[in-house]
Amino acid sequence: MKAEEKYTDAELIAAISAGKDLNTAIRSIYRQHSEAVSSFVIHYGGSEQDADDIFQETVVAFIDIVKKGKYRMEASIRTFLASIARNYWFNELKKRGRSGHRDRQFEMGRDQDEADVSHHIAELERKRQLRELVEQLGESCRKVLLLFYYENLSMKEIVNHLPYENEQVVRNKKYKCLQQLTDLIKANPAIARQMQETLK
Amino acid sequence: MTPEETRLLIDHLDETLTGTRNAGLDRLLEEDPEAAQEWQYLGLAVEAVKAEGLHAQVASVRAAWKAEDAGLRIAAVPETVPPAKATVHRLYKKYGLRAAACVLIVASSAFLYKYLSVSSQSLYDRYYSTYELNTSRGAGDERPVVKAYDAKDWSAVLSIAGSAKNKDNQAEFLSGIADLQLKKYDDAISHFEQIIAVNTIGGTDYYQDEAEYYLAISWLAMHKVNEAMPILEKIRSDAHHQYHEKVAKMSFFDLRLAQFKENK
Repeated sequence: MKAEEKYTDAELIAAISAGKDLNTAIRSIYRQHSEAVSSFVIHYGGSEQDADDIFQETVVAFIDIVKKGKYRMEASIRTFLASIARNYWFNELKKRGRSGHRDRQFEMGRDQDEADVSHHIAELERKRQLRELVEQLGESCRKVLLLFYYENLSMKEIVNHLPYENEQVVRNKKYKCLQQLTDLIKANPAIARQMQETLK
Repeated sequence: MTPEETRLLIDHLDETLTGTRNAGLDRLLEEDPEAAQEWQYLGLAVEAVKAEGLHAQVASVRAAWKAEDAGLRIAAVPETVPPAKATVHRLYKKYGLRAAACVLIVASSAFLYKYLSVSSQSLYDRYYSTYELNTSRGAGDERPVVKAYDAKDWSAVLSIAGSAKNKDNQAEFLSGIADLQLKKYDDAISHFEQIIAVNTIGGTDYYQDEAEYYLAISWLAMHKVNEAMPILEKIRSDAHHQYHEKVAKMSFFDLRLAQFKENK
Protein backbone atom coordinates (compact mmCIF):
# COMPACT_ATOMS: atom_id res chain seq x y z
CA MET A 1 0.00 0.00 0.00
CA LYS A 2 1.33 3.44 -0.87
CA ALA A 3 1.37 5.39 2.36
CA GLU A 4 1.20 8.91 0.95
CA GLU A 5 -1.53 7.96 -1.55
CA LYS A 6 0.07 9.90 -4.38
CA TYR A 7 0.49 7.95 -7.52
CA THR A 8 1.96 8.72 -10.89
CA ASP A 9 -0.42 7.93 -13.75
CA ALA A 10 1.40 4.69 -14.50
CA GLU A 11 1.37 3.60 -10.84
CA LEU A 12 -2.32 4.33 -10.57
CA ILE A 13 -3.15 2.29 -13.67
CA ALA A 14 -1.00 -0.57 -12.37
CA ALA A 15 -2.71 -0.48 -8.95
CA ILE A 16 -6.21 -0.51 -10.43
CA SER A 17 -5.34 -3.21 -12.95
CA ALA A 18 -3.90 -5.41 -10.20
CA GLY A 19 -7.06 -4.84 -8.15
CA LYS A 20 -5.08 -4.72 -4.92
CA ASP A 21 -5.76 -2.05 -2.35
CA LEU A 22 -8.33 -0.41 -4.57
CA ASN A 23 -9.51 1.86 -1.74
CA THR A 24 -6.12 3.58 -1.63
CA ALA A 25 -6.12 4.03 -5.39
CA ILE A 26 -9.63 5.52 -5.34
CA ARG A 27 -8.68 7.87 -2.51
CA SER A 28 -5.65 8.93 -4.51
CA ILE A 29 -7.86 9.75 -7.52
CA TYR A 30 -10.05 11.89 -5.27
CA ARG A 31 -7.09 13.64 -3.68
CA GLN A 32 -5.24 14.33 -6.92
CA HIS A 33 -8.02 15.01 -9.40
CA SER A 34 -11.42 15.69 -7.88
CA GLU A 35 -11.05 19.44 -7.48
CA ALA A 36 -9.80 20.11 -11.00
CA VAL A 37 -12.30 17.80 -12.65
CA SER A 38 -15.28 18.95 -10.58
CA SER A 39 -14.58 22.55 -11.48
CA PHE A 40 -15.63 21.75 -15.07
CA VAL A 41 -19.05 20.73 -13.88
CA ILE A 42 -19.44 23.78 -11.69
CA HIS A 43 -18.24 26.00 -14.53
CA TYR A 44 -20.99 24.59 -16.74
CA GLY A 45 -23.80 25.29 -14.32
CA GLY A 46 -23.62 22.35 -11.91
CA SER A 47 -23.88 22.63 -8.16
CA GLU A 48 -21.21 21.28 -5.82
CA GLN A 49 -23.45 18.26 -5.22
CA ASP A 50 -23.74 17.72 -8.98
CA ALA A 51 -19.95 17.96 -9.26
CA ASP A 52 -19.51 15.42 -6.45
CA ASP A 53 -21.99 13.00 -8.02
CA ILE A 54 -20.57 13.37 -11.51
CA PHE A 55 -17.04 12.84 -10.22
CA GLN A 56 -18.12 9.68 -8.41
CA GLU A 57 -19.66 8.30 -11.62
CA THR A 58 -16.52 9.35 -13.47
CA VAL A 59 -14.28 7.43 -11.07
CA VAL A 60 -16.49 4.35 -11.37
CA ALA A 61 -16.34 4.55 -15.17
CA PHE A 62 -12.59 5.15 -15.15
CA ILE A 63 -11.87 2.13 -12.92
CA ASP A 64 -14.12 -0.02 -15.07
CA ILE A 65 -12.33 1.09 -18.22
CA VAL A 66 -8.90 0.45 -16.69
CA LYS A 67 -9.90 -2.95 -15.30
CA LYS A 68 -11.03 -3.99 -18.75
CA GLY A 69 -7.68 -2.87 -20.18
CA LYS A 70 -9.34 -0.27 -22.37
CA TYR A 71 -7.42 2.75 -21.09
CA ARG A 72 -4.73 3.46 -23.65
CA MET A 73 -2.74 6.15 -21.78
CA GLU A 74 -2.80 8.44 -24.80
CA ALA A 75 -3.92 11.29 -22.56
CA SER A 76 -3.09 11.96 -18.92
CA ILE A 77 -5.46 10.54 -16.35
CA ARG A 78 -6.64 14.02 -15.44
CA THR A 79 -7.51 14.81 -19.07
CA PHE A 80 -9.27 11.50 -19.44
CA LEU A 81 -11.25 11.96 -16.23
CA ALA A 82 -12.19 15.48 -17.29
CA SER A 83 -13.41 14.16 -20.64
CA ILE A 84 -15.59 11.54 -19.00
CA ALA A 85 -16.94 14.03 -16.48
CA ARG A 86 -17.76 16.62 -19.11
CA ASN A 87 -19.51 14.12 -21.36
CA TYR A 88 -21.41 12.68 -18.46
CA TRP A 89 -22.47 16.13 -17.29
CA PHE A 90 -23.58 17.04 -20.81
CA ASN A 91 -25.76 13.94 -20.91
CA GLU A 92 -27.14 14.81 -17.50
CA LEU A 93 -28.04 18.31 -18.70
CA LYS A 94 -29.81 16.83 -21.71
CA LYS A 95 -31.76 14.53 -19.39
CA ARG A 96 -32.75 17.50 -17.28
CA GLY A 97 -33.92 19.29 -20.42
CA ARG A 98 -31.45 22.13 -20.07
CA SER A 99 -30.00 22.15 -23.59
CA GLY A 100 -29.68 25.90 -23.70
CA HIS A 101 -27.00 28.33 -24.71
CA ARG A 102 -24.59 27.17 -22.02
CA ASP A 103 -24.76 23.61 -23.30
CA ARG A 104 -24.24 24.63 -26.91
CA GLN A 105 -21.22 26.53 -25.69
CA PHE A 106 -20.10 23.36 -23.96
CA GLU A 107 -20.63 21.28 -27.10
CA MET A 108 -18.46 23.69 -29.08
CA GLY A 109 -15.78 23.41 -26.41
CA ARG A 110 -15.53 19.65 -26.71
CA ASP A 111 -12.36 18.41 -28.29
CA GLN A 112 -11.46 15.22 -30.07
CA ASP A 113 -10.40 13.40 -26.87
CA GLU A 114 -13.81 14.00 -25.40
CA ALA A 115 -15.60 12.67 -28.45
CA ASP A 116 -13.52 9.51 -28.03
CA VAL A 117 -14.89 8.83 -24.57
CA SER A 118 -18.54 9.24 -25.59
CA HIS A 119 -18.94 5.50 -26.16
CA HIS A 120 -17.78 4.93 -22.59
CA ILE A 121 -20.59 7.22 -21.46
CA ALA A 122 -23.18 5.02 -23.16
CA GLU A 123 -21.65 2.07 -21.31
CA LEU A 124 -21.84 4.03 -18.06
CA GLU A 125 -25.54 4.65 -18.61
CA ARG A 126 -26.13 0.95 -19.28
CA LYS A 127 -24.30 0.06 -16.06
CA ARG A 128 -26.42 2.57 -14.16
CA GLN A 129 -29.58 0.85 -15.40
CA LEU A 130 -28.21 -2.50 -14.32
CA ARG A 131 -27.25 -1.14 -10.89
CA GLU A 132 -30.77 0.11 -10.37
CA LEU A 133 -32.03 -3.44 -10.84
CA VAL A 134 -29.60 -4.77 -8.23
CA GLU A 135 -30.92 -2.14 -5.85
CA GLN A 136 -34.42 -3.51 -6.38
CA LEU A 137 -33.36 -6.81 -4.83
CA GLY A 138 -33.79 -7.24 -1.11
CA GLU A 139 -30.83 -6.38 1.08
CA SER A 140 -30.09 -10.03 1.85
CA CYS A 141 -29.95 -10.95 -1.87
CA ARG A 142 -27.86 -7.92 -2.71
CA LYS A 143 -25.42 -8.83 0.04
CA VAL A 144 -25.03 -12.49 -0.94
CA LEU A 145 -24.44 -11.60 -4.58
CA LEU A 146 -21.97 -8.81 -3.75
CA LEU A 147 -19.99 -11.01 -1.38
CA PHE A 148 -19.75 -13.77 -3.96
CA TYR A 149 -19.34 -11.93 -7.25
CA TYR A 150 -17.69 -8.66 -6.18
CA GLU A 151 -15.77 -9.54 -3.01
CA ASN A 152 -15.00 -13.00 -4.43
CA LEU A 153 -15.65 -14.66 -1.07
CA SER A 154 -16.14 -18.41 -0.90
CA MET A 155 -19.39 -19.94 0.34
CA LYS A 156 -17.62 -20.81 3.58
CA GLU A 157 -16.53 -17.22 4.10
CA ILE A 158 -20.03 -15.93 3.31
CA VAL A 159 -21.48 -18.17 6.04
CA ASN A 160 -19.33 -16.20 8.50
CA HIS A 161 -20.73 -12.90 7.24
CA LEU A 162 -24.42 -13.68 6.97
CA PRO A 163 -26.98 -15.39 9.17
CA TYR A 164 -27.22 -18.62 7.23
CA GLU A 165 -26.74 -22.03 8.72
CA ASN A 166 -24.34 -23.58 6.25
CA GLU A 167 -22.77 -23.33 2.82
CA GLN A 168 -25.62 -25.17 1.10
CA VAL A 169 -28.15 -22.64 2.40
CA VAL A 170 -25.99 -19.81 1.05
CA ARG A 171 -25.58 -21.61 -2.27
CA ASN A 172 -29.36 -22.01 -2.62
CA LYS A 173 -29.87 -18.39 -1.65
CA LYS A 174 -27.37 -17.27 -4.26
CA TYR A 175 -29.06 -19.33 -6.99
CA LYS A 176 -32.43 -17.79 -6.15
CA CYS A 177 -31.04 -14.27 -5.95
CA LEU A 178 -29.21 -14.51 -9.26
CA GLN A 179 -32.34 -15.87 -10.92
CA GLN A 180 -34.38 -13.08 -9.34
CA LEU A 181 -31.96 -10.52 -10.76
CA THR A 182 -32.03 -12.21 -14.17
CA ASP A 183 -35.83 -12.01 -14.12
CA LEU A 184 -35.63 -8.28 -13.33
CA ILE A 185 -33.25 -7.80 -16.26
CA LYS A 186 -35.56 -9.73 -18.61
CA ALA A 187 -38.48 -7.61 -17.47
CA ASN A 188 -36.62 -4.37 -18.19
CA PRO A 189 -37.60 -3.36 -21.73
CA ALA A 190 -34.55 -1.20 -22.46
CA ILE A 191 -32.04 -3.81 -21.37
CA ALA A 192 -33.96 -6.69 -22.95
CA ARG A 193 -33.98 -4.75 -26.25
CA GLN A 194 -30.22 -4.17 -26.06
CA MET A 195 -29.78 -7.86 -25.35
CA GLN A 196 -31.90 -8.91 -28.34
CA GLU A 197 -29.85 -6.63 -30.59
CA THR A 198 -26.65 -8.15 -29.25
CA LEU A 199 -27.91 -11.65 -29.96
CA LYS A 200 -28.96 -10.86 -33.54
CA MET B 1 -34.97 -24.04 -19.50
CA THR B 2 -35.68 -26.16 -16.44
CA PRO B 3 -34.60 -24.83 -13.03
CA GLU B 4 -32.01 -27.61 -12.91
CA GLU B 5 -30.53 -26.53 -16.26
CA THR B 6 -30.41 -22.93 -15.08
CA ARG B 7 -28.61 -24.05 -11.93
CA LEU B 8 -26.08 -25.89 -14.04
CA LEU B 9 -25.55 -22.79 -16.15
CA ILE B 10 -24.94 -20.78 -12.97
CA ASP B 11 -22.43 -23.39 -11.78
CA HIS B 12 -20.77 -23.21 -15.19
CA LEU B 13 -20.65 -19.41 -14.91
CA ASP B 14 -19.12 -19.70 -11.43
CA GLU B 15 -16.60 -22.20 -12.81
CA THR B 16 -17.49 -24.77 -10.17
CA LEU B 17 -18.11 -27.63 -12.61
CA THR B 18 -15.44 -30.01 -13.79
CA GLY B 19 -14.56 -32.11 -16.82
CA THR B 20 -17.33 -33.64 -18.87
CA ARG B 21 -20.11 -31.52 -17.35
CA ASN B 22 -18.34 -28.40 -18.59
CA ALA B 23 -17.96 -29.84 -22.08
CA GLY B 24 -21.64 -30.86 -22.08
CA LEU B 25 -22.75 -27.37 -21.16
CA ASP B 26 -20.50 -25.80 -23.78
CA ARG B 27 -22.24 -28.01 -26.36
CA LEU B 28 -25.65 -27.06 -24.99
CA LEU B 29 -24.79 -23.37 -25.30
CA GLU B 30 -23.72 -23.84 -28.90
CA GLU B 31 -26.76 -25.85 -29.93
CA ASP B 32 -29.63 -24.46 -27.85
CA PRO B 33 -30.52 -20.77 -28.53
CA GLU B 34 -32.68 -20.64 -25.40
CA ALA B 35 -29.77 -21.78 -23.25
CA ALA B 36 -27.48 -19.31 -25.01
CA GLN B 37 -29.90 -16.49 -24.25
CA GLU B 38 -30.21 -17.51 -20.59
CA TRP B 39 -26.43 -17.62 -20.41
CA GLN B 40 -26.26 -14.04 -21.71
CA TYR B 41 -28.79 -12.88 -19.13
CA LEU B 42 -26.90 -14.58 -16.31
CA GLY B 43 -23.70 -12.91 -17.48
CA LEU B 44 -25.50 -9.58 -17.49
CA ALA B 45 -26.74 -10.21 -13.94
CA VAL B 46 -23.20 -10.86 -12.73
CA GLU B 47 -22.03 -7.74 -14.56
CA ALA B 48 -24.77 -5.78 -12.77
CA VAL B 49 -23.62 -7.07 -9.38
CA LYS B 50 -20.01 -6.15 -10.12
CA ALA B 51 -21.09 -2.67 -11.24
CA GLU B 52 -23.06 -2.25 -8.02
CA GLY B 53 -20.09 -3.44 -5.97
CA LEU B 54 -17.67 -1.01 -7.59
CA HIS B 55 -20.15 1.83 -7.25
CA ALA B 56 -20.66 1.08 -3.56
CA GLN B 57 -16.91 0.90 -2.97
CA VAL B 58 -16.26 4.24 -4.67
CA ALA B 59 -19.17 5.80 -2.75
CA SER B 60 -17.70 4.56 0.51
CA VAL B 61 -14.24 5.96 -0.23
CA ARG B 62 -15.84 9.20 -1.40
CA ALA B 63 -17.64 9.56 1.95
CA ALA B 64 -14.45 8.89 3.87
CA TRP B 65 -12.48 11.28 1.71
CA LYS B 66 -15.08 14.03 2.14
CA ALA B 67 -14.92 13.58 5.91
CA GLU B 68 -11.14 13.71 5.82
CA ASP B 69 -11.18 16.75 3.56
CA ALA B 70 -13.66 18.55 5.82
CA GLY B 71 -11.51 17.72 8.84
CA LEU B 72 -8.40 19.10 7.19
CA ARG B 73 -10.22 22.30 6.25
CA ILE B 74 -11.32 22.77 9.87
CA ALA B 75 -7.76 22.26 11.05
CA ALA B 76 -6.12 24.42 8.40
CA VAL B 77 -8.27 27.54 8.26
CA PRO B 78 -7.68 30.02 11.10
CA GLU B 79 -10.29 32.61 12.00
CA THR B 80 -10.15 35.83 10.01
CA VAL B 81 -8.11 38.56 11.67
CA PRO B 82 -9.73 42.03 11.21
CA PRO B 83 -7.63 44.58 9.31
CA ALA B 84 -5.41 46.64 11.59
CA LYS B 85 -5.19 50.41 11.62
CA ALA B 86 -2.01 51.89 10.17
CA THR B 87 -0.64 53.13 13.50
CA VAL B 88 -0.66 49.76 15.11
CA HIS B 89 -0.38 47.75 11.93
CA ARG B 90 2.97 46.17 12.77
CA LEU B 91 1.89 45.35 16.30
CA TYR B 92 -1.34 43.85 15.08
CA LYS B 93 0.52 41.90 12.43
CA LYS B 94 2.90 40.50 15.02
CA TYR B 95 0.16 39.52 17.46
CA GLY B 96 -2.23 38.66 14.65
CA LEU B 97 0.19 36.09 13.35
CA ARG B 98 0.65 34.73 16.85
CA ALA B 99 -3.11 34.59 17.31
CA ALA B 100 -3.50 32.87 13.95
CA ALA B 101 -0.80 30.41 14.94
CA CYS B 102 -2.59 29.80 18.25
CA VAL B 103 -5.91 29.29 16.47
CA LEU B 104 -4.21 26.93 14.06
CA ILE B 105 -2.61 25.00 16.92
CA VAL B 106 -5.88 24.86 18.85
CA ALA B 107 -7.83 23.84 15.75
CA SER B 108 -5.20 21.26 14.82
CA SER B 109 -5.15 19.92 18.37
CA ALA B 110 -8.93 19.79 18.42
CA PHE B 111 -8.96 17.91 15.16
CA LEU B 112 -6.16 15.60 16.31
CA TYR B 113 -8.05 14.93 19.54
CA LYS B 114 -11.21 14.28 17.57
CA TYR B 115 -9.34 12.05 15.15
CA LEU B 116 -7.75 10.02 17.94
CA SER B 117 -10.82 9.81 20.14
CA VAL B 118 -13.41 8.91 17.52
CA SER B 119 -13.68 5.20 16.87
CA SER B 120 -16.45 2.80 16.05
CA GLN B 121 -16.33 1.62 19.67
CA SER B 122 -16.72 5.16 21.04
CA LEU B 123 -19.60 5.72 18.61
CA TYR B 124 -21.22 2.49 19.73
CA ASP B 125 -20.90 3.57 23.37
CA ARG B 126 -22.39 6.94 22.48
CA TYR B 127 -25.36 5.69 20.48
CA TYR B 128 -26.28 2.38 22.01
CA SER B 129 -29.17 2.39 24.45
CA THR B 130 -31.15 -0.58 25.64
CA TYR B 131 -34.36 -1.19 23.77
CA GLU B 132 -37.49 -0.63 25.84
CA LEU B 133 -40.52 -2.69 24.91
CA ASN B 134 -43.36 -0.27 24.30
CA THR B 135 -46.72 -0.66 26.01
CA SER B 136 -48.62 -1.98 23.03
CA ARG B 137 -46.13 -4.77 22.66
CA GLY B 138 -45.16 -5.27 26.28
CA ALA B 139 -48.09 -4.56 28.56
CA GLY B 140 -49.96 -7.63 29.68
CA ASP B 141 -47.91 -9.82 27.42
CA GLU B 142 -47.55 -13.17 29.07
CA ARG B 143 -44.95 -14.52 26.70
CA PRO B 144 -42.05 -15.96 28.70
CA VAL B 145 -39.48 -14.34 26.42
CA VAL B 146 -41.04 -10.91 27.02
CA LYS B 147 -41.17 -11.52 30.77
CA ALA B 148 -37.50 -12.50 30.77
CA TYR B 149 -36.66 -9.42 28.71
CA ASP B 150 -38.57 -7.13 31.06
CA ALA B 151 -36.66 -8.71 33.95
CA LYS B 152 -33.41 -8.00 32.04
CA ASP B 153 -32.52 -11.68 32.34
CA TRP B 154 -30.56 -11.79 29.08
CA SER B 155 -29.48 -15.42 29.35
CA ALA B 156 -33.08 -16.46 29.92
CA VAL B 157 -34.19 -14.46 26.88
CA LEU B 158 -31.69 -16.34 24.72
CA SER B 159 -32.54 -19.68 26.23
CA ILE B 160 -36.33 -19.25 25.86
CA ALA B 161 -36.13 -17.82 22.34
CA GLY B 162 -33.57 -20.44 21.33
CA SER B 163 -35.75 -23.33 22.42
CA ALA B 164 -38.90 -22.00 20.75
CA LYS B 165 -40.10 -24.13 17.86
CA ASN B 166 -41.23 -21.21 15.71
CA LYS B 167 -39.21 -18.17 16.56
CA ASP B 168 -41.01 -15.01 15.41
CA ASN B 169 -39.44 -11.62 14.76
CA GLN B 170 -40.11 -10.39 18.29
CA ALA B 171 -38.25 -13.30 19.87
CA GLU B 172 -35.51 -12.89 17.27
CA PHE B 173 -35.21 -9.19 18.01
CA LEU B 174 -35.19 -9.58 21.80
CA SER B 175 -32.49 -12.23 21.37
CA GLY B 176 -30.47 -9.72 19.37
CA ILE B 177 -30.73 -7.11 22.10
CA ALA B 178 -29.88 -9.72 24.75
CA ASP B 179 -26.77 -10.62 22.75
CA LEU B 180 -25.82 -6.93 22.56
CA GLN B 181 -26.16 -6.70 26.33
CA LEU B 182 -23.91 -9.72 26.69
CA LYS B 183 -21.47 -8.21 24.15
CA LYS B 184 -22.03 -11.13 21.74
CA TYR B 185 -22.12 -8.79 18.77
CA ASP B 186 -21.72 -11.44 16.07
CA ASP B 187 -24.77 -13.28 17.36
CA ALA B 188 -26.73 -10.04 17.63
CA ILE B 189 -26.00 -9.28 13.96
CA SER B 190 -27.26 -12.73 12.96
CA HIS B 191 -30.56 -12.13 14.75
CA PHE B 192 -31.13 -8.69 13.23
CA GLU B 193 -30.19 -9.86 9.73
CA GLN B 194 -32.50 -12.82 10.12
CA ILE B 195 -35.43 -10.45 10.82
CA ILE B 196 -34.60 -8.40 7.75
CA ALA B 197 -34.30 -11.55 5.64
CA VAL B 198 -37.62 -12.91 6.92
CA ASN B 199 -39.35 -9.60 6.20
CA THR B 200 -37.79 -9.40 2.75
CA ILE B 201 -38.95 -12.87 1.82
CA GLY B 202 -42.39 -12.55 3.40
CA GLY B 203 -43.05 -8.92 2.41
CA THR B 204 -43.64 -8.05 6.08
CA ASP B 205 -42.13 -5.34 8.28
CA TYR B 206 -42.53 -6.69 11.81
CA TYR B 207 -39.62 -5.28 13.87
CA GLN B 208 -37.98 -4.17 10.61
CA ASP B 209 -37.09 -0.63 11.72
CA GLU B 210 -35.80 -1.82 15.07
CA ALA B 211 -33.70 -4.53 13.42
CA GLU B 212 -32.18 -2.09 10.94
CA TYR B 213 -31.19 0.42 13.61
CA TYR B 214 -29.74 -2.12 16.01
CA LEU B 215 -28.00 -3.92 13.15
CA ALA B 216 -26.14 -0.69 12.35
CA ILE B 217 -25.31 -0.23 16.04
CA SER B 218 -24.03 -3.82 16.20
CA TRP B 219 -21.75 -3.23 13.20
CA LEU B 220 -20.30 -0.25 15.06
CA ALA B 221 -19.61 -2.53 18.02
CA MET B 222 -17.82 -4.87 15.61
CA HIS B 223 -15.65 -1.96 14.37
CA LYS B 224 -17.23 -2.20 10.93
CA VAL B 225 -18.36 1.32 10.15
CA ASN B 226 -18.43 0.48 6.44
CA GLU B 227 -21.27 -1.93 7.14
CA ALA B 228 -23.10 0.46 9.47
CA MET B 229 -22.96 3.56 7.26
CA PRO B 230 -25.29 2.50 4.41
CA ILE B 231 -27.92 1.45 6.95
CA LEU B 232 -27.63 4.68 8.94
CA GLU B 233 -27.74 6.75 5.75
CA LYS B 234 -30.84 4.87 4.63
CA ILE B 235 -32.53 5.57 7.97
CA ARG B 236 -31.49 9.22 7.88
CA SER B 237 -32.98 9.67 4.42
CA ASP B 238 -36.26 7.99 5.38
CA ALA B 239 -38.39 10.47 7.35
CA HIS B 240 -40.91 7.73 8.13
CA HIS B 241 -38.39 5.40 9.70
CA GLN B 242 -39.01 4.83 13.38
CA TYR B 243 -35.38 5.70 14.18
CA HIS B 244 -35.09 8.60 11.74
CA GLU B 245 -34.90 11.32 14.41
CA LYS B 246 -32.40 9.40 16.47
CA VAL B 247 -30.13 8.84 13.48
CA ALA B 248 -30.58 12.42 12.23
CA LYS B 249 -29.09 13.61 15.52
CA MET B 250 -25.99 11.45 15.10
CA SER B 251 -22.72 13.08 14.10
CA PHE B 252 -22.11 11.85 10.57
CA PHE B 253 -18.83 13.72 10.61
CA ASP B 254 -17.65 11.47 13.45
CA LEU B 255 -19.04 8.40 11.72
CA ARG B 256 -17.21 9.23 8.51
CA LEU B 257 -14.06 9.97 10.43
CA ALA B 258 -14.28 6.53 12.05
CA GLN B 259 -14.99 5.06 8.61
CA PHE B 260 -11.92 6.78 7.21
CA LYS B 261 -9.78 5.40 10.04
CA GLU B 262 -11.20 1.96 9.44
CA ASN B 263 -10.41 2.10 5.72
CA LYS B 264 -6.83 3.25 6.23
